[in-house]
Order: sequence, then structure tokens, then C-alpha cells
Amino acid sequence: MLQEESDLSLIIAQIVQKLKGSNLYSQLERQAWASLQRPEIKLESLKEDIKEFFKISGWEKKLQNAVYSELSVFPLPSHPAAPPEHLKEPLVYMRKAQGNWEKRILKSLNSMCTELSIPLARKRPVGEQKELLNKWNEMGTDEPDLSLFRPVYAPKDFLEVLINLRNPNYENGDSLSFRTHLGLIQVPLKVKDIPELKECFVELGLNTGQLGIDDSTQVPPELFENEHVRIGQKVLAEQDSAAAQQYIRQGSPTALRAELWALILNISSEPEDVLYYEQLKTNVIQHDLLVDSLIYKDVKLTASNDDYYFVFEDYLYQVLLCFSRDTSVLSHFAYNSASPPKSYIRGKLGLEEYAVFYPPNGVIPFHGFSMYVAPLCFLYHEPSKLYQIFREMYVRFFFRLHSISSHPSGIVSLCLLFETLLQTYLPQLFYHLREIGAQPLRISFKWMVRAFSGYLATDQLLLLWDRILGYNSLEILAVLAAAVFAFRAVNLMEVTSLAAAEAVLADLSTLKVMPLLQIFLFATVT
Amino acid sequence: MSRVLVPCHVKGTVALQVGDVRTSQGRPGVLVIDVTFPSVAPFELQEITFKNYYTAFLSIRVRQHTSAHTPAKWVTCLRDYCLMPDPHSEEGAQEYVSLFKHQSPSMTFPKWLSHPVPCEQPALLCEGLPDPSRVSSEVQQMWALTEMIRASHTSARIGRFDVDGCYDLNLLSYT
Repeated sequence: MLQEESDLSLIIAQIVQKLKGSNLYSQLERQAWASLQRPEIKLESLKEDIKEFFKISGWEKKLQNAVYSELSVFPLPSHPAAPPEHLKEPLVYMRKAQGNWEKRILKSLNSMCTELSIPLARKRPVGEQKELLNKWNEMGTDEPDLSLFRPVYAPKDFLEVLINLRNPNYENGDSLSFRTHLGLIQVPLKVKDIPELKECFVELGLNTGQLGIDDSTQVPPELFENEHVRIGQKVLAEQDSAAAQQYIRQGSPTALRAELWALILNISSEPEDVLYYEQLKTNVIQHDLLVDSLIYKDVKLTASNDDYYFVFEDYLYQVLLCFSRDTSVLSHFAYNSASPPKSYIRGKLGLEEYAVFYPPNGVIPFHGFSMYVAPLCFLYHEPSKLYQIFREMYVRFFFRLHSISSHPSGIVSLCLLFETLLQTYLPQLFYHLREIGAQPLRISFKWMVRAFSGYLATDQLLLLWDRILGYNSLEILAVLAAAVFAFRAVNLMEVTSLAAAEAVLADLSTLKVMPLLQIFLFATVT
Repeated sequence: MSRVLVPCHVKGTVALQVGDVRTSQGRPGVLVIDVTFPSVAPFELQEITFKNYYTAFLSIRVRQHTSAHTPAKWVTCLRDYCLMPDPHSEEGAQEYVSLFKHQSPSMTFPKWLSHPVPCEQPALLCEGLPDPSRVSSEVQQMWALTEMIRASHTSARIGRFDVDGCYDLNLLSYT
């Protein structure tokens, strides 16, 4: 009992500390002062009256949403004796592996820098600044020579690192035994099995209405869709983040999705936010970074070639270039196992007052990074709002897909969850694919790292991302990957090579995600 | 009113094995750590803090002297306290753990404390107050809160990534 009370006090103290620096805090303070003018606020019962005022005017709800947001994003405070790195990642061997991986990335970036004789950062001359400002809304028309640039890494390089992860305390033995994992991932993380997943994703069950299934043309809208839309409108009117998160587990109506996601992510576009985005834009204009070329190259190679997303090319630059300059992203490294790369001002090597992070947001983009932004362009057309939504999605979810950690939503756990589901519920298929040298993870890894962006049709992808927000977890990506293999099992059993297996799974654009998930979790005989 | 660390001597782990044969193949599942207290005055133990390293269950036994004439006897304070819910997976494997007095029957610990604790990191032991444990846990809460507030800076965004307008960089550092 006492331990729980002190845990709660610690959580409260941490949230208060976080919110004290926010816009919301200053707004609440201003509102409280302004409310003193109101007749219903009496001096004798000042505290209660102001609290009542906050409740009626909707400010209490805003505070509730902010607290809920903090609880969703930040891990619970750990033991007082635990150092900061423990909060980033509790397992020492994973921290070491992440550190080694980061070193490789830094070395790669440094060699690119020296080989091409391009500085990491450069202040633009005034003429160039003016030119870029004029071109800001059509940066896609630029055709810079990017042939010499190469992506810092691709998902398959990252997969190799994950395959080689070992727990030094785990005795596997050299020979195959019941303790060896048959898949590629060899670390013993705890992953859920189907009964546990069914409990966790109960709203995806056969008896619950879903958008993506029960809104198809054959189903009369009176049965589910109309009521669901009505409830969605009510949730938006109430402006309650927790209710929105619960609601969206059954999918979001297209017309309400943009607002619902903003409510769940606790994004409200205040003038300060627009100003902040403009400031980032100014930073882009003033300084040219080497990572900008990497971003250009990535967009040109991926989103620009995609039938659904090429129209958004300009938006992608506007978001990603600003993202690289955003120092507020640095705060997510408190709970990310990764650390931002560090550098020093030229000539001041080793002097801590001249130490800086590079890029300013600490995130080095890899091949396919722009695909995290592309789907959001369907929902948000105002650049600063699009930017805020992407940033929040990144610091809540996407960062876990490319850093090494033991978190249940981290890519390592997702890979193990995928392999375990396949092995347990489709053992024949798993064994067959292994025998022909087509380890399933080698095919599904790229889907999960990109959260299926660029592989599914956009409407299906958005239905999937609805559930990521609704359950505040990325585990659904691993479940979907296994469900896709289950769906194509018959064809896969007939192939005899990795290339043929890849061909069977090359095109996912016709898949309907919700029926696949529902069948895999709730309708497969286990 | 303060809690202090009690100086203690943590001996190396000893594996519990059946029989005399020392074999390097069999890995015993139970290890014992003896902890002794060089200080003379009796104290009231409030909290034991340690970092786990792949120990699944913890038992603590204490050798108590009740009076000068009766021989000391072993008392079990904690039996099979679960540190890892699934011993074959990583949950709880490297966590920081605190055990409080209220979790075991209350007693005064003698100057010499010996217990079978199969964990590999040294423990920090805290001397408590003469007050009831309730007060001590409240003090602990307040201490934790003030530590947090003092230690953390404002969460407000700083914004600047350059140093005095300059962002001309060397290469990236590896340290």
C-alpha cells in the first residue's frame, strides 16, 4: 500500500514538473487570473470557485487531456536509484548494442562528409537564403545532384544487427535445442501469444463492429456505421482524449479522422505552435545541413515514386527539413534507447560549452524515413498542423521502429512476436520457409519498420494506424504481418526459393487489413 | 529525522549444491550471499535496495539475537519473492528493486545479519528512524519529490541549436 502511494506521488510530481513548462500552464494561469473578475468567484471559496470555473469552461478537460497525454507517452518513473540510462533501456546488453549501432551510423556519416568534402552544416549566403524562401512551396521542382549521396543505412542493414543481438546471460548452446529460437531473433523477450492478444485487442473481436469490415457496401449503414459516426461526433464535441482513444479502436470515419488523431495526440494549433513552425522554417533557410541531402534523396527514392504519395512531395520537404531543426524532439531521448549524435563547433573540439547535437533534433534519417510522413498528408494540409502531428507520432511511436530496445513496442519485440506467432500457429509454413532459405522475418521486416506505409493501400493503412493510436502500441504491426503470411499460406507452401516467396508477398496493395486481423486473432482454430 | 546507509560487508556468492562433488557442468539454481554488519549498535532496517541480474526469486533470512542468553536463531523475512514473472524472458531481469520493512514481519535487526540472497549486486541498507514505518515512508515520498523537482530543469523548449549564432561543425564525435 505504502509503496503504491509513494509511486503515485512520484508520478504526479513528474507530470506536474513536465506540464509546468508548457503553454497550457501559462494559459491556465492567465485564465485563473482573468476569472477573478467574474461574479461567481468569491474570495472565501476562491480555490473551489476557480476549480468549478475551469470545469465549466472546458479548461479542466484540456488539463485532463494533457495529463493523459503525458501518461501515454512517458514511462512510469523508475526506482530512485535507477540512473537515466536505465529509463532509456533497462537491459545493459541492449544499450551496448544500440551504442555500437549508433557508432557505425556516425562513422558512415563522417566518411560521407570527408569523401564528398561537404560540411555537416553550412550557413547559407543571403542570396541562397532568398532563393530558398521563394521556392519554399515547390522544393520538389529542384533537381540537385544527389548521385554521390547514399542513404546512411537501409532496413536490411538494421535487421542484420538485430539478428546478431545476444544476451550474455542466456545460454543457447551451439546445437539446436528446445531453447534455441527457430527464427532470426535470438533474445528472450516476453511477447504475447494469441490468447493474450485477444484480450488486449478485444475491440477487434467478431462481435464488435469495425470500420474496415462493417462499413463495406454490402452492410446496411444502419447496422453499425451511422451510430459509430454519431458517437465519433459526440466524442469530438466533448474534446476528451481518453474517450477518443477508446473510440478509435473500432476505426475512425474518414471525415472525423484528422480531428480525432489531433485530439488523441493532444495537438491543438495555437498561434504559438504556428510561430514555432515558422521559426523552424527560418532555421532551414539560414543553415544548410548534410542531412537535408539525405532527406531529399530519400523523398526522391521513395515517396516520389509512389503512386499515392508523389503529389505530396513538397509537403514532405517542408515537414522533414523543419523536423531536423527541432530541438524539442531532443526530450524524447529520455525514454528512447538511442542518443542524439554530438559534435563540437569547429576549432572547439572537446570544449563542452561548444558541444552541440547534430542534427539539431538528434535524428538521422534512414532509407524510407519519409514514408512515416507521407500518409499524414492525406489528413492535414496546413503545414504547421501536419508538422505537429508527425512530430508527435514520431516521438510516441515511430522512433521505436529503428532503435534497439526491449520495449514491447520496440522493433526487436515486434520481430520476435511475428516469428513466434508464425511458428506457433503456422508451424508447417514456418518450417517450410525456413527449409527453402526464406526466413519469414527477412520478408516482413521492411513492412514493420515502415509501419506498412507504402505497402498497403492508403485507406487500409489509415485504418491500421487508427488502431496503433487506439491501443497505444505497435504490436498490431507484428500481428498484421503474421496475418498476411497466414492469408497467403497456400501459395507460400508451394514456393521453393526466397525470391519466389518474396514475389508472393510483393504486392499487399489489395489487402483488407481488418478482416485479416480479425480472422487471424479470432477466427483461426488454434 | 534522516535515513542513513548502514555499512555492510557483502560476501561473494556461494552456490548451493548437493553432495561434495564440485562440478563445473551443473549450474545450481540457488546462490547464497552473506551480508554482515561491522557496526556494533543495533539498528532498525527500513529498506534494502539492489539491482537485479537475472534472479527470479528472492528469499531473505535473518539471524536474530533476541537476548544475551538465548542462542541466535534464523528467521525468514521473505520467501520466494518474485523478481522475474517469467524467468525465461527478460522481464524484471535487470531492474532496480527496493524491499521495505513492511513487506516482512517487523523486527529489529541485530548487528550481525546473514541471509541467503541469490542476487549478484551489493545491497545498500538503510538505518531507519525510531518512528513508526508510516512516517518513514512519508519522509521517503517527500524526499523523492524534492529530489525530482530540484534535479530536473524546466521542460520548456529552448529552441536554439547553435552556439552564439554559429553552427559550423567538425565531424561527429564517437564518445
